[in-house]
Amino acid sequence: MKKLFLLILIFMLCCFLSSCYDRAEIDDQAFVIAFGLDKGKTNFLRMTFQIAVPSAFGQEGGGSSGESGEGKEKHPKSVTITTIESPTVYSGFNIVNTYVSKQLNLSHTKVLIISSELAKENMGMYINAIHRGREFRNTMYICVCDGSAEEYLKNVNFVLDISPSKFYEETFASHRYTSFTANTQLIQFISRAKSKSINPVAILVGVDRIEKLDDYSKENTNYKEKGRENYFGGDFAAGNIPKEYKNKTSAMGLAVFDGAKMVGMMDGAETRYYLMLTGEYDYSYVTVPDPVVENKFVLLNVKQSRKPRHNVVMEGDTPKISVKIMLEADILSIQSGINYEDPEKVEELETASEEFFKKDIVRLLEKTTKVFKSDIFGFGKSMKWKFLTQKEWDEFSWHDKYPNAQFDIEVDLKIRRPGLILRTAQFEN
Amino acid sequence: MALLRKTLKEYLFFTEPDKPDDFVLEEGKDEGNESCNDAVKDGSGEKREKTEKVRKSKGVIKKLFTPEREDTACYGYDSNADNSEKNESDVKKESKDPESIKRKTSISKDVARNLEYMRKVYNVPLNGDVVIREFEIAFKDKTIPAFSIFFDGLVDRMLVNESILKPLMLLSNIEIKGKEDDIADYVQKHILPQSQMLLEESYEKVIFGINYGCCAIFIDGVDKVFVADAKGWEHRGIERPNAELVIQGPQEGFGEILRINTALIRKILKDEKLIVEDILIGERSKTPCSMLYIKDIVNDSLVQEVRRRLKGVKIDHLIDSGELEQLIEDSTYLPTPQVIYTERPDRVSRYLANGRIAIIVSGSPFALVVPATMWNLFHATEDEYVRFPYANLLRVVRLFAIFLTLLLPGIYIAITNYHHEMIPTDLLLAIEASREKVPFPSVFELLIMEVSFELIREAGIRIPGPIGPTLGIVGALILGQAAVSANIVSPILIIIVAVTGIGSFAIPNFSLAYSFRLQRFAYIALGATAGFLGISFGLFIMFLWIAKAKSFGVPVLVPYGPTTADVNKGNIFRNPTWKQNRRPDDLNVKSKNSQQEISRQWKINEEEN
Amino acid sequence: MEKISIGNWELSALVIMSFCTKIFLNYPRVMSESAGSAGWILSAYTSLLAFVIFTFMLRLYKKNYGMDLIDLGELIGGAPGRIITGVVIISFLIYFIPVNLREFSENMKIISLVISPISFVTLFFLGTMILAAYFGLEAITRVNAIAVPVISAGFILILVLVGQLYDFSKLMPWFGTGLQEIFIGGLPKLSYFSEIIIFFMLPPFLKKFNNFRKSSYIGFVFAGSFLFLSTLVFLLVFEYPTSTESFLPIFQLSRLINYGRFLQRGESVFLLMWSFAAMLYLSFGFFMLLYTFKKTLKLEYYKPLIMPFAVIIFSLSLTPPNLMSAIKLDTVYFLNWGWLISFAFTTLVFIAAGIKKRKGKKE
Repeated sequence: MKKLFLLILIFMLCCFLSSCYDRAEIDDQAFVIAFGLDKGKTNFLRMTFQIAVPSAFGQEGGGSSGESGEGKEKHPKSVTITTIESPTVYSGFNIVNTYVSKQLNLSHTKVLIISSELAKENMGMYINAIHRGREFRNTMYICVCDGSAEEYLKNVNFVLDISPSKFYEETFASHRYTSFTANTQLIQFISRAKSKSINPVAILVGVDRIEKLDDYSKENTNYKEKGRENYFGGDFAAGNIPKEYKNKTSAMGLAVFDGAKMVGMMDGAETRYYLMLTGEYDYSYVTVPDPVVENKFVLLNVKQSRKPRHNVVMEGDTPKISVKIMLEADILSIQSGINYEDPEKVEELETASEEFFKKDIVRLLEKTTKVFKSDIFGFGKSMKWKFLTQKEWDEFSWHDKYPNAQFDIEVDLKIRRPGLILRTAQFEN
Repeated sequence: MALLRKTLKEYLFFTEPDKPDDFVLEEGKDEGNESCNDAVKDGSGEKREKTEKVRKSKGVIKKLFTPEREDTACYGYDSNADNSEKNESDVKKESKDPESIKRKTSISKDVARNLEYMRKVYNVPLNGDVVIREFEIAFKDKTIPAFSIFFDGLVDRMLVNESILKPLMLLSNIEIKGKEDDIADYVQKHILPQSQMLLEESYEKVIFGINYGCCAIFIDGVDKVFVADAKGWEHRGIERPNAELVIQGPQEGFGEILRINTALIRKILKDEKLIVEDILIGERSKTPCSMLYIKDIVNDSLVQEVRRRLKGVKIDHLIDSGELEQLIEDSTYLPTPQVIYTERPDRVSRYLANGRIAIIVSGSPFALVVPATMWNLFHATEDEYVRFPYANLLRVVRLFAIFLTLLLPGIYIAITNYHHEMIPTDLLLAIEASREKVPFPSVFELLIMEVSFELIREAGIRIPGPIGPTLGIVGALILGQAAVSANIVSPILIIIVAVTGIGSFAIPNFSLAYSFRLQRFAYIALGATAGFLGISFGLFIMFLWIAKAKSFGVPVLVPYGPTTADVNKGNIFRNPTWKQNRRPDDLNVKSKNSQQEISRQWKINEEEN
Repeated sequence: MEKISIGNWELSALVIMSFCTKIFLNYPRVMSESAGSAGWILSAYTSLLAFVIFTFMLRLYKKNYGMDLIDLGELIGGAPGRIITGVVIISFLIYFIPVNLREFSENMKIISLVISPISFVTLFFLGTMILAAYFGLEAITRVNAIAVPVISAGFILILVLVGQLYDFSKLMPWFGTGLQEIFIGGLPKLSYFSEIIIFFMLPPFLKKFNNFRKSSYIGFVFAGSFLFLSTLVFLLVFEYPTSTESFLPIFQLSRLINYGRFLQRGESVFLLMWSFAAMLYLSFGFFMLLYTFKKTLKLEYYKPLIMPFAVIIFSLSLTPPNLMSAIKLDTVYFLNWGWLISFAFTTLVFIAAGIKKRKGKKE
């Protein structure tokens, strides 16, 4: 026993003496919270790092409270930004390490921003490099910036948060209640980009160009394409949002990819229908034109009651795709004051909104076949059932067939609850 | 250099093991292959022989010290070394017939010689607390010189006066109808009204009696000595247990008096099959120890083994059961205790009822219970007294406490040094900010705090009572607040150390808590060396080590280590009381059921009625 | 040597541990590599097949129960027979222990100890092997019996926690790379059950044949379902072409666990359980290597062998120049030919022993 005891001691001693190779103190690391890739001017890449500054997280008081007694300072900025140009991703890290006092650590990177310019070329190799590294989170969000990623990161202002990571995590999780973006994490992106049945999307972010709301022009939105009088809540994408806020940046819409190559963009409303089609939709407020009175709206809180049903049948070379979307809604507001809560009238509203959704959904689907030529909805998965071996499926080549697809969309919307008001009584004027 | 070479040789070259086989509990007859530790009872003769050899060799070492002992003190009886040697070789004989121990020097009939001898033995003018009272007994017209000898303070003086000296000196004059001619007979039968009185023939027994608070009476013309029990020393009464407090349940704790302690147990168990077997340990101190077991429950081979080990303990003085624990436990180097150390009679009784053996040492308020599994150490007394869901909550809390004590600092170091990615980002940045001004590496920082925490704890025990609270304040203030503001440690670390400390107090067994406190440092080191790999390395080794260990023939991790029949019988989580039908399988007890298969008969009766 | 006895559950746990530890290495990946999206069918198929063959082998073995492979070798061909059997088993073990040691250490290095030299990481595993060998089989089986449920729970937890990423269409097309590829090309994948040869060294520690059979069946069932589940869940989360990429499938799965802002990137916790499994696996293999060697040469003690064998295994494990070749040693050579030793050779021994025994009786 004694012998064994000594043996263990000696062994442990050996381990300690051989030093701790990988040991790295937290405070020796610079944690990159977000990083952006642009096309470089002088080299292949321009990389922008947003690095957390830990001192912002320290408690106010502490040891140095005596010195800064007079007038509390404004909260120190919690991030710092650096931009460099380099040929590859990893050589970029090296360069930054030379002048940043701490070692870059990318294990807490929450967001990867890629400029649309780079995304439209082939960004697969960079994504692969990131995927290979152990440090990176598989769950980090991939975003495409309509403009330059550098500009986006420089303009991000965490107004409500101190913590940058919280800012990103909450911003990009907002799709659960706005449905204007989607959950596009790195691992999903990669597996979709490599899949033969579905193509990836990425959150669209941007820097809003307008300074004042008064300068905003309706023409920036795409209401005309959709055949409307005016723009609705989702008829624009990031970078074009009519808003005034300290934070100039925004995230809305999706970038559509074919493989790892960006082929187009979708605005907020289209993103909503994308989510409905894939079944990722949670709930959101939707403005629907009043079926009876013009220029009045009905506001619905729409949820997805069941996952959509996809069915794909091949007729020759054209895939016939039928989708049934099942929604349910609560009434939030009826501007016209018409008593749609009435069980007899509710049907009227239901059909009208079904039509409204259907029109937009068909428009989106056709856009993906004609313009994007990319199946981002995963209809290929429903086709895949019909194949027995991988080889047949590979030879079938769904992505080539998809642009010919024809659609048969059915939307089934049921209004469940009218909110607190069961009958609308008219205002007396 | 030679030592180094020897050690190296020991490691590099294999030496044939000469250890006797480990003791294995004998299995009950009805058990075949079901249980895993199949009974492997070796030819005990061979085993004995080997142990004998070991003991002999120890005797040699002992001999080296004996002359010294003889020089310094002069004892009345001649050969001390001789005595010990004899004892060693006669262990077997002794165990069969404890009465056979007799001193070579026999008691003389001449009281003057005896007196002289006793004076020499007790160094009388030098020894202040020995009282020798000479007097004369009137017996059939004769007066016979006699003397009594006892220790002042050890005996009850009133008792000695009233029921020993008074009858001998006064009542002997009264005409008594007895016809005995033999004075010894006469005195015993008529004069001394003592309930416990022995007639001893050897000096050794007499001396032992005197040392143990008896009053010895030497009478001229009798080659026997009356040893009257007159114990009357001062002692602590029965108090609440200090270390094992419960809210629900009995509030008595053991005291220092052996017989009171055994009585406390007998009071609870009220079982005539409860055997209190006395064994003397200590060559000189002759500390009386009691080995308690319930004869028709306990496994006989276990009793034999415990007896063998107790008799095999050869030290001069045995003061406390803690010493005895170390002398009889299986492995000295094992990081966890292998004996239950408790001061609660109710707890001891429960273990006895389960078929374990308790050892109580005179003068120690702590009883030892063997064999102990890891789970026994993890259980608290209260577990059985509170209702089943609450007890399980307590157990979960305790498991968590063990986890915290053992691993929290190590895991903290591993995570902050190797696995940054798993800390939530905000927390990570907060830790980074708090460490920004700390000049030390985090391991060193942690060690500073752990060591100072141990310091406070140790000081807290040693500190005189009234200053105690001050220490807490000083410790908390100085070490917590000041160290943080001086940027020596980061505030998050204070939380880690505090939680670890609190966790260690929640472990019911003090000895186990010690063990985890000690091991914690190993995990800190391992965590700092290789992160989680180091920690799992440590855990693996610890588990192997413990899995190998046995406590009196019972594997320590039973019933999970070797998986036995009662793998889901409430070792980690307690079963409802009515479900605890069987005694632990690993003890191979004689009677398996501890209650009737249906312990709540009223349930059935109700249905029938 | 001390008398060792193994309990029923302990044997089951050993079976589970030795078959399932490779889940943490590359099992799901290899399955999906060779059968595409139908890897789960291949997994179920090979598990069932191995089970059937094992049942068959047990039937052959029943009459000779109590003797291990080496005893049988001696029964067949005397001392040469014993030594030949022993050498086959030893060479088998000495091939796959270093390979596995290397792979586990490399994985550990890639996952968390990026800068540390490979020998440093290997030393930890080697240390546990050496110490475990000193503590003996009993300690290993006991620790294993305790650890297997815990590790299995952790493993199941991973599978459940990635539940939100399940997509059943990823299992399509049904037959992956094709039926032929699965049912005929998948046959050598039986080698994943090669540890079976070790279990035929254990019977002397279990007294009754029925106990041995029952426990190993239980172990087989659990192991088979774990292997199957691992492949299934892996393929549910990673679609076919991507699924062949990742070098550590279950680790990749655990990296995906993401519940809100707090529960992210818990993979390092699983690393704990994962390295524990690796240590158990290697220790058990190493002990059995020493035991076989001891038994083959009829030595009295195995402890003097520990250090030399540790050195041999350490140097062998560092022989492959890179990780890729180590993986190749495992997934290409071992997988394709391992079954020849573990299944074919063992069955042959059983048959020969049966014949010999019958002859002996007649005479």
